[in-house]
Amino acid sequence: MILKLHDKFEETFTVSEQIYEGFIAMFRDKNPLHTDQQFAIDHGFQGRVMHGNILNGFLSYFIGECLPGKNVIIHTQSIQFKNPVYLNDRLFFEGTVVNVFESVNAVEFKFRFKNEALKEVAKGKIQIGILA
Amino acid sequence: MELTEILERVQDVFRDVLENEDIVLSPQTTANDVEDWDSLNHIQLVVAVEKEFKIRFTSHEIQSWKNVGEMVDCIAKKA
Repeated sequence: MILKLHDKFEETFTVSEQIYEGFIAMFRDKNPLHTDQQFAIDHGFQGRVMHGNILNGFLSYFIGECLPGKNVIIHTQSIQFKNPVYLNDRLFFEGTVVNVFESVNAVEFKFRFKNEALKEVAKGKIQIGILA
Repeated sequence: MELTEILERVQDVFRDVLENEDIVLSPQTTANDVEDWDSLNHIQLVVAVEKEFKIRFTSHEIQSWKNVGEMVDCIAKKA
């Protein structure tokens, strides 16, 4: 097993203009909360709220590229969005191994994203499989 | 822990993971008897059972099971 209990990983991500525009171009979610500054402000936010699923893209990068081995596959994941993320926010990601299931070569992570004010913006769990 | 109690808890786990409240397990039940008990769901079932009983199986153990009854026997030895 390439991962063991309590292994911890940290990454930093930025929700850049390129990622934001790319997400909209690819998935066509132009809901005004994400694209209309005044609409977002009128609904109590500081500005356009970034799509929560951009964070799932960062999770994909973490699992696919940041672990000690490439022989991994995501089984399940869940995420809770706790606070809004805005354009150009820098996010601090922390993923910790909380369960190892040797019998089926599976590993469960808890993860969280914090913004620069160290406010938690999202948290959740991912279970991955280690491919033979 | 009684085998019947273990079987009931395993059945609850199966119903939850496979999202099917109609599942009824017996010691003789095999994967062929339960809709959606495929190789991917098998991983989720094992993970969920390990969490439920706070135990860990070995790969050798899970490969040796021929039916639910053998899983329950294995749990009884560990729980």
